Amino acid sequence: MAKAADIEVTPEEPFASAGARIVRVRTEELFAHADGVLDTGDIERVHDMRVATRRLRAVLEIFASCFPKPEFKSALRDVKALADALGERRDPDVHLDAMRAFAAQIAPGQRPGIAKLIERAEAQQEAGNTVLALALEEMESSGLQGRLLALAEAAE
Amino acid sequence: MKARSVKGLDPAGTLGDNAERIVAVRLDELCSFMPRAADPAQVTALHDMRIAAKRLRYILEITGPGFGPYARTAVKLVKDLQDLLGEIHDCDVQLPEVREISRLIAEEDAKVLVRRAGDAADLDPALVKRAPNRSAHAGLGALTTHLLARRELLFTRFLELWETYERKAFRTRLEFAITERSGASIPPA
Repeated sequence: MAKAADIEVTPEEPFASAGARIVRVRTEELFAHADGVLDTGDIERVHDMRVATRRLRAVLEIFASCFPKPEFKSALRDVKALADALGERRDPDVHLDAMRAFAAQIAPGQRPGIAKLIERAEAQQEAGNTVLALALEEMESSGLQGRLLALAEAAE
Repeated sequence: MKARSVKGLDPAGTLGDNAERIVAVRLDELCSFMPRAADPAQVTALHDMRIAAKRLRYILEITGPGFGPYARTAVKLVKDLQDLLGEIHDCDVQLPEVREISRLIAEEDAKVLVRRAGDAADLDPALVKRAPNRSAHAGLGALTTHLLARRELLFTRFLELWETYERKAFRTRLEFAITERSGASIPPA
């Protein structure tokens, strides 16, 4: 899993300027993880981007009181939608991994049942990828990165 | 689960003072799920407790460096708790899916057996031996058993972990740590 940047904070610094700095870093991390997330051959990419959205969402919620309300609400809603779309892909990824590992441990005669679960998870993974592709397009077209950086700017 | 709102946050105030308020609320939120989540049947409470742990972890990862030393220890403790609750949650999500597939193939087989029974007065139990999905049932049964056993074992580990936290005064020590102020930074767990 990609490690989040270590952000130095001091307790005396103003809440709003700390929020602005942290939102900037977490926004950059999120967008840095967008490349190759639709590749089902490397499921860690989706995982890393999902974790990055969680961290960004968390800091947005923590520093909510520092941002202009309408812009904040709209950006948070879009980050949540992106996180949900990443979850649609990630959940079947995890199930597939678990099912394949389990199937490898049981008697070959017992595997057909697990194969049915694997088939279902593969279909969910494909459907999740379609949802994610749309969410990534929306992320670009709505200028989410710019809006998040503008939020940080407004907090200072 | 909607997070409890934190009263009295002041954007013009210091990070330390605002973070203290947030951590206090998130910590109380986490602890409030016990003892309800100690009942293995309370799946929703356990799931919500995991979300509460995640919220506490993230605020501590960001602001923990500004508090007393125990806040650093708490990041790791909360992450361990969140991970364990996540593993239990995975079992809770997978079990209904496995049961659903089992039900669907049982219904599929039942239709085949009815056809094979033809105009018999009753169903011959021996027909089950030749049900089309008989081997699939065996695998799904094994997986159900595995998930039930894993869930039970992980749940026991969760109770043990929480007991350890209580014994080591996790809540009280973190409540004290957030009243202290320091300046170092730590990487996220």
